[in-house]
Amino acid sequence: MLRNITVSCSPHISERLSTRTVMLDVIIALVPAMIAAGYYFRIRAAILIATCVISAVATEWLCNAIRKKSNSLDDLSAVVTGIILALSIPPALPVWAAVIGSCFAIAIGKMIFGGLGANIFNPAMVGRAFLTACFGMLMTTWTVPATIDSAMPKIAADNKINARTQATPLAWSKQAIKTKTQAKVVNEQIEAAFTGEVGGCLGETSTFALLLGGLYLLIRRTINPHIPLAVLASAFIFAGITYLINPDAYISPLLHLTSGGMLICAFFIATDPVTAPLTAKGMWIFGIGVGTITMLIRIIGEYPGGVMYAVLLMNAVTPLIDRLCKLVPAGGKPNA
Amino acid sequence: MKINTKGRFTFPGGTHPPQSKELTSESEIRLGPASTQVAVMLSQHTGAVCQPIVKKAEQVRAGQKIGDSNAFVSAPVHSPINGKVKEIALQSHAVLGRSPAVIIKADSENNPLKQPVFGKFTGDFNEGKYSAEQICTAVREAGIVGMGGAGFPTRVKIEPNPRLPKETLIINGCECEPYITCDYRIMLEWTGQIIAGVKLAKKASGCSKVFIGIEDNKPQAIEVMRKALKETGNDDIKVVAVKTKYPQGGERQLIKAILNKNVPTGGIPPMIGVVALNVATAAAIAEAVVCGQPLTHRVVTVTGEAIANPGNYYTAIGTTIGELIEFCGGITQKAAKVVLGGPMMGIATADLNAPITKTSGAITVLTKEQIGSAKFARRQTACIRCGRCIEVCPENLNPTKIAHAVKNNFLDVAESYYLNACTECGCCSYVCPANIEITGYIKTGKILLARQKKKMPE
Repeated sequence: MLRNITVSCSPHISERLSTRTVMLDVIIALVPAMIAAGYYFRIRAAILIATCVISAVATEWLCNAIRKKSNSLDDLSAVVTGIILALSIPPALPVWAAVIGSCFAIAIGKMIFGGLGANIFNPAMVGRAFLTACFGMLMTTWTVPATIDSAMPKIAADNKINARTQATPLAWSKQAIKTKTQAKVVNEQIEAAFTGEVGGCLGETSTFALLLGGLYLLIRRTINPHIPLAVLASAFIFAGITYLINPDAYISPLLHLTSGGMLICAFFIATDPVTAPLTAKGMWIFGIGVGTITMLIRIIGEYPGGVMYAVLLMNAVTPLIDRLCKLVPAGGKPNA
Repeated sequence: MKINTKGRFTFPGGTHPPQSKELTSESEIRLGPASTQVAVMLSQHTGAVCQPIVKKAEQVRAGQKIGDSNAFVSAPVHSPINGKVKEIALQSHAVLGRSPAVIIKADSENNPLKQPVFGKFTGDFNEGKYSAEQICTAVREAGIVGMGGAGFPTRVKIEPNPRLPKETLIINGCECEPYITCDYRIMLEWTGQIIAGVKLAKKASGCSKVFIGIEDNKPQAIEVMRKALKETGNDDIKVVAVKTKYPQGGERQLIKAILNKNVPTGGIPPMIGVVALNVATAAAIAEAVVCGQPLTHRVVTVTGEAIANPGNYYTAIGTTIGELIEFCGGITQKAAKVVLGGPMMGIATADLNAPITKTSGAITVLTKEQIGSAKFARRQTACIRCGRCIEVCPENLNPTKIAHAVKNNFLDVAESYYLNACTECGCCSYVCPANIEITGYIKTGKILLARQKKKMPE
């Protein structure tokens, strides 16, 4: 018998990959969005991102300490949750609210289920939903990007839309649905929505930055293209139909895709592997569900942005989807 | 004219581990060590265990049959050397388990090393003078089993069966497992012998089509085989270059790649009219039929970063692993794992007294760097349901679901996710970012399930 020889199960080699590298990839992919947030919302962006990340990490540490579990911070998943939450809250949100949101996201969204891999709902979206429920006013108070001249007139009382200085494109689209006239004016926002020079949540405004990050994740094969494609395609088709029906009341589908949380959802939130289905078919069902529910909320619901609820609802049915989309072996079902 | 050796055919799923074949791919097949003692396992194959037909202290010749069985699915074993039976005792083996072995002490004189017989096969080999029945009998008497790893008795495979007529013969020269090069060297050096074996197998099985599948990371082997077939006028035997991807050399995956047919789950290739043989098996068939020599030696690749002099050796079956490793200069200080077979499907062992068997293609000694620190420490984290294991699974299973069902002792759930369809190729464990031993759980689950169904003793 030899000494210092390990005996274990095959395979004996493995790809140089860990949960940490997967999470690190997501963080790298979020860098453009963070830079865009910093560019448009200046110091507020830095404060909120730092607050969310620190409180998320601290909460995870505390939860592990209470449960007497070994430390799980090195997988970086708390950092990812913190960043995504920070990017999906309004720039003017007070720091204390951001702290509450992050703590809730980690403690109730993740740790209470048993930590990473066991949570049913996307932790960042749980935190955001909690903030929306508790501090509705704060969560819908938008600030104008710092790059826009603040001397320009603010929203006029007679509902005349003054581009760029009003709330968010989606808030306008709600207005347009009510008045059934102004959708075409809102459509002029598309360029601003692409660069990010519109009101909105911290990291959701810049289409360009989010696309860059999404592309990185796809190239690194950290995420599958199924969910982003399904979300964007279903939302585009839904919005396209409404647009064709009445272009005066409904904004263009492209603006729907580029504004609100649609892109960050398609690439970073809905693709969270823990809370999304496992199989390709399941991913398509999940993605179509997210896209469709988002558009239903945006067009029929009261709330301007629907991404958060769409993701949470589809998270809830993920186990069902997994059960329905059972894989059949390559050789067919065995004859029992 | 440049022959195109780029593979176009493959199967869905799979992964690309580092090849690491350069350690031994250029080393010619050399004669292995002259053992003073060999231990020939009586069960080196799938099927019934052989009964010893020699007694303690009996003198045996090289090539003499020393164990046989009346069962249909079985293969006799032979002595590789001249010597005296020391004892018949239980021997542990990492791959085969604990089973009886005939231990033979070599005569100190008159015990020449067996030479390979490839020189006897020239281009004009004609299988016409052997009848199908003759071939089958010779294959059975020579104790030939699948030398790629499964060890299924070859006679049972090639013998015509009226219920399952065979059409296509597939010769497996993929060798997708990293590090191993024994089949590659055989294809380069024993080309004529392989072709003779293929023709004999074709005749015996009555197949009309023959394909030789070789991964396109071995362009030299593809060219050599194509050239040899062309020169000998065997245009009906086609060499198919397949994509380099693990586990391309899996029987089911190779059939999928070449014929685009799936072997039924839980079924065997003859169900779709296919016989699949390894190149080394084909060479052994030729030797058995033409030279009447049983399977007592095989080429073993001794490799890995922790082996002093890696190489390919024509070794007597029954030689201990330790002896073969010593013959290659021993293992270095860095050695962390000794694996029988390659790093993806091989079995790790710490017992160097285990003998080489008909199915041992390689001994791989890995260092800690090759294994990777996470894998070495066997540090597992929680499954993040990333789905990579599903993407790479060549059998389109849900490995993480099966593994976690087994872990939580829900064998019925594991079975409902087709636990037994797993070929244990190891792709899922290889790609898992959480470093979960998915393959290990599945293997455990199979054993537990078999026990539950009382197919296997406790």
